[in-house]
Amino acid sequence: MNINPDDPKLTAYALGELRGKEHEEIERQLEGSDQMRREVEEIANVGAQLSKEFAAEPLPELNYAAQLAVKAKLEPALSTTERASWWSFRFPIRVTPLGFLVILSIVAILAAMMLPALSRAKSKARRISTQDEQRTSMMAKLIGSDSDRNRTSDLNTEAYDHIEDNPFLSPAQNPLSTFSIDVDTASYSNVRRFLNEGRLPPKDAVRIEELINYFPYAYPQPTDEHPFSVTVEVAGCPWNAEHRVARLGLKGKEIAAEKRPPSNLVFLIDVSGSMMPDNKLPLIKRALRLLVEQLTEKDSVAIVVYAGNSGLVLPPTSGDQKQKILSALDRLEAGGSTNGGEGIGQAYATAMRNFIQGGVNRVLLCTDGDFNVGVTSQGELIRLIQDKAKGGVFLSVFGFGMGNYKDSTLEKLADKGNGNYGYIDTLNEARKVFVEQMNGTLITIAKDVKIQVEFNPNQVSAYRLIGYENRLLRKEDFNDDKKDAGEIGAGHTVTALYEIVPSGKAMNLPGVDPLKYQPNPQVPVGGHPSGELMTVKLRYKQPDGDSSQLVEFPIAASQTAYAQASGDFKFAAAVAAFGMVLRESPYKGTATFDAVAELGAEGRGSDASGYRTEFLKLVKEAKALKR
Amino acid sequence: MDRYAGPLTKYAMLITDDLEVARDVVQDTFIRLCDENPVRLDSHLAQWLFTVCRNRALDVQRKEQRMKPLSDVEMNSQASPEPSPAIQAERREAATEALGLMADLPKNQQEAIRLKFQNGLSYLEISKVMNLTVTNVGFLIHTAIKALRQQMQSKPDVAANRMRRTT
Repeated sequence: MNINPDDPKLTAYALGELRGKEHEEIERQLEGSDQMRREVEEIANVGAQLSKEFAAEPLPELNYAAQLAVKAKLEPALSTTERASWWSFRFPIRVTPLGFLVILSIVAILAAMMLPALSRAKSKARRISTQDEQRTSMMAKLIGSDSDRNRTSDLNTEAYDHIEDNPFLSPAQNPLSTFSIDVDTASYSNVRRFLNEGRLPPKDAVRIEELINYFPYAYPQPTDEHPFSVTVEVAGCPWNAEHRVARLGLKGKEIAAEKRPPSNLVFLIDVSGSMMPDNKLPLIKRALRLLVEQLTEKDSVAIVVYAGNSGLVLPPTSGDQKQKILSALDRLEAGGSTNGGEGIGQAYATAMRNFIQGGVNRVLLCTDGDFNVGVTSQGELIRLIQDKAKGGVFLSVFGFGMGNYKDSTLEKLADKGNGNYGYIDTLNEARKVFVEQMNGTLITIAKDVKIQVEFNPNQVSAYRLIGYENRLLRKEDFNDDKKDAGEIGAGHTVTALYEIVPSGKAMNLPGVDPLKYQPNPQVPVGGHPSGELMTVKLRYKQPDGDSSQLVEFPIAASQTAYAQASGDFKFAAAVAAFGMVLRESPYKGTATFDAVAELGAEGRGSDASGYRTEFLKLVKEAKALKR
Repeated sequence: MDRYAGPLTKYAMLITDDLEVARDVVQDTFIRLCDENPVRLDSHLAQWLFTVCRNRALDVQRKEQRMKPLSDVEMNSQASPEPSPAIQAERREAATEALGLMADLPKNQQEAIRLKFQNGLSYLEISKVMNLTVTNVGFLIHTAIKALRQQMQSKPDVAANRMRRTT
């Protein structure tokens, strides 16, 4: 057999990639052909040239702060493995021809599965989405880059009112602050995992609103026709004596256990190889067991697993046949690779077949986040989830034992599926999500809940929303019923804090020049009641509704000092301050871990659940790690 | 980390087309590395890093596309978009050298070339990183080198430059 000069094998030979028989074969042919030898030399030259140029290529560095953060975490890992061996690394396994064939065929199958998704993903159209830009600037800011700090408060009529996360804004230029509620708590459990493992969490893992919302607060039950109550409290700001903090609290209507509507639940469980560790599949089994134990004959449970193949492990089974459900759970074993796309389709199909009109219809996805979408692109997956959410089957996502970085994908899935997203690191956390707050987890009482606050420039010289960076909405979105927003479950509480600079206090906003063509914005237009601090507006839809309802409250300015604030207020402020210190936020003011511990202790109250006591313990751990 | 941060960022940029996004991707990759068992990775480190980096970059890229979904028609008509400013700048810098020429190659060929010649990965490792068969990888690299050779020959100054450098 004669080799063609244009055979990839010749290139492979020139680059030293051939072994054994193939290698010998080419050598034999080269002996007889000068042309071939020149060809090989040329190829090797181009290779050498490329290597040389790559070696001389200027390389980008990570941002300095990011380097430090990663290094601090990486150093222990580095010392245990040998640096020198990394670079001059050859593949150490001698591949037998048979083994090679096996590998080839496996890789070929994988490639065939992946190619459609890959080509879609790669046909790139570079588009800057506002959300990503926001994220980038948030990252830049969190790791200390000042580059876009000055873009802060343009009178921005498109995209978001403010581009950066949480700058102080002037109500003269940005009177409206609009965001979607977020009942997720995953960030808190994730931060707890980091601290319990003896590391400070990466700053980007700290989403302050999820920290604050992890804790229940004693807001009153709704007494009117709305499915939730709204509480607003304004008092002094603990980390800046001149400022004030406004706390907005929502409390979803409680639904007694016996009044829980019949539930049609489909557990969609990732049983891929990576799920083997104790804090993954074994914890999932124990966690779901807690949930199953509360179900009754009104309810039904099905189990779908996904790995290399997906399958219905348990057909819809009545909640009183606990033994049958539990033994199906017990039999699950980890093994195989992940193909989430197919599994999720099957889970939804099962839920649809068993749909309970007027009941709870929900898919509960349990995974470590290695959600390989297989033949389905993530775009299609999101569309499927949105589609099914419209049809009444909601999605809850529970992350187990994963590294932080997949959580944006999971959060997004839950978000699109009108669901909630929890991170379950311990059996205690499972008890909180599946037992104590079971109704909140399962029953959505209002969807697409949006908040818009209008600040009165007579009373407020600047304001800042603490957290909710990835939940900001454009002011126009508030009245747009097509814009998706967060859901609130039975008994859920949602808390948002604003830091407010009262009028008369100097505030150096990175301002813009006075505008020439606007009605002079520096002089507040008279006529509105000057005693009002702000107006809080909420929009929500019934779980099965398509049009939103509006709720509106004016809030009077108050002079309450911090010391007179309620315990819940103090505790929420302590949690916010903790988040800001962890993120090294430029807005943390005088907050330190010590100050957080003090505030938190003042606001702890009776703490029947023990969550707040645990928080204080975490603050101590964080402080010890900071040294 | 010093050793890999630059090459990983360059590699991620091939997919994300944006330096800052690529940096985020690499940072995520290292953070993920902290959670791995170092003993298990040992000799697989380079392969592991590039695999995780690539998947992460694709995730980010997909997410970005989801924000502004394209219809299939649009997708097809945008198969060869304008090179991004970052790529154009890179081209200007290295217009007379092989790396400059490389920017004209299809993305998957560039990926394979970077993995091979910048990072010294073998075909087998590249096939795992890029989720292709070894034969595919061989074909990508072969085609890329062929194209580079042809272009170098068609531009005498490049060829001369190359001769000077290689001797």
